[in-house]
Amino acid sequence: MSASRRILALGGHDFDRRAGNDAICDLIVELAESPRPRICLLPTASGDHHDQIARFRRAFGERDCIPQVITLFRLGENPVDLRKELLGQDVIYAGGGSLLNLIAIWRAHGLHEILRECWREGILIVGQSAGAMCWFQGGITSSSGEPTVASGFGLLPGSACVHYLTEPVRRRRFLRAINAGELEPGLGLEDQAGALFEDGELVETITARDEAAVWEVAPGNGNGARESEMYSRRLEDGRQPINDTRSDILELRQTLAARATRRRAQRRRPGRLD
Amino acid sequence: MRQVVAFGGGGFSQEAGNPLLDDYVLGLTGATSPRVCFLPTASGDADHYIVRFYNAFRDRARPSHISLFRRERGVPDIRSHLLAQDLIYVGGGSLISLLGVWRAHGIDEMLRGAYEAGVILCGLSAGSLCWFAEAVSGYHDEVNRVPALGFVRHSNAVHYRDGERRGAFHRHLVEGMPGGYAAEDGAALRFVGDELVEVVASRPEARAYKLEQRGSRVLETRLATRYLGAKAPAVIPLVRQAAA
Repeated sequence: MSASRRILALGGHDFDRRAGNDAICDLIVELAESPRPRICLLPTASGDHHDQIARFRRAFGERDCIPQVITLFRLGENPVDLRKELLGQDVIYAGGGSLLNLIAIWRAHGLHEILRECWREGILIVGQSAGAMCWFQGGITSSSGEPTVASGFGLLPGSACVHYLTEPVRRRRFLRAINAGELEPGLGLEDQAGALFEDGELVETITARDEAAVWEVAPGNGNGARESEMYSRRLEDGRQPINDTRSDILELRQTLAARATRRRAQRRRPGRLD
Repeated sequence: MRQVVAFGGGGFSQEAGNPLLDDYVLGLTGATSPRVCFLPTASGDADHYIVRFYNAFRDRARPSHISLFRRERGVPDIRSHLLAQDLIYVGGGSLISLLGVWRAHGIDEMLRGAYEAGVILCGLSAGSLCWFAEAVSGYHDEVNRVPALGFVRHSNAVHYRDGERRGAFHRHLVEGMPGGYAAEDGAALRFVGDELVEVVASRPEARAYKLEQRGSRVLETRLATRYLGAKAPAVIPLVRQAAA
């Protein structure tokens, strides 16, 4: 029997300590089903933004896995055999950013074909935001400013809309598109919530934050699209809260805020005479 | 007049402290305070690169930039913004990513319009290769032949001292790629339409070459080059930021 083809689509996830993000990182390592899994980030949608890369390395560097990053914008400096590197992973994580650019760049490099092969081979594909929507038939992108309907690679059935309740304009466009038949019925994915697909079928939805949910969205009977909240498995943060780190961050934030307030107070206001 | 200035490498991206190539393209605009728009697409709109652009051009031009990764925060109408420029300056990085993103946003067509309206196009590395019919681009492990925008009907190679690129350029020519031009770091090719009108350099030793296929052989001609510095300065070390 061949390995199942799995994709975990996340409505929003970051490699930081905000509520739920750690639990999702843990889930990814667990789903890899391999001792010390190799986890590779593709930060293409962000233009290989160094912040995203640094946060990924820190978050997965602390876990029992081997994190790696492939930056298509800097292949000149770090040439790699893309197919060989990617097929050697246990997990491939597609980061967020511009859906339009992600699809254009992967197509230009032929990466979408390699990733399809990885998926068929049983490598777990994880994606958040643009990196989640790209696997469906379509989604709602804000890559050109206004939210618009965009096609994905179509490995998963239906459509998806990310940052579901936090970006109401995007959600409204999604509801309209589904009701008008521009997009197939699909999922509204909130930040820190996600959907796991196996062999193209939805097998489980998860949430790592109390308020976050996954919504099933289908055309209604004449009065707008219909949204139903799905029952999702609640992920618990299995790790002990890292008090030191958390309080350090809090302290740093307070220091920075105090400094900024002081600076603002010292700044001369235009139009005001001393 | 349709103009492209293609740098083999250099300008603010790679020659900190040597403004000769950037001054040259600004001078070509004939404007006292030229409007210069930077397209950092090939770098993935890298923040540090955009900052360096503004630092280099703030005092001698009216600089702006277009980010295609954070479009919601940029100019609302890219087409009219590009048409309103004196100079469009394209940064280095990944040619394949650059072409993919531009096509997805329709930037290739907008640039064609700006070019035909007389906006000068320039750039280094990937920002040079993109204007030609074919590019010899060293990006993946090997050096590849990449079809580009074709505003200038020749082939192009950059950072030409690099031995691998030279070999690859010759091989592609023998295999039927149209003839073209190669520039070393610090050398720039100025085209009016498809015609090369001048080669300039920011370093006394930087050169450019014309390459033509002659049966199974390649004819490579070293081109006369005008050094832009008044008197020969010490050789400025090259810091390579991004290879095409």
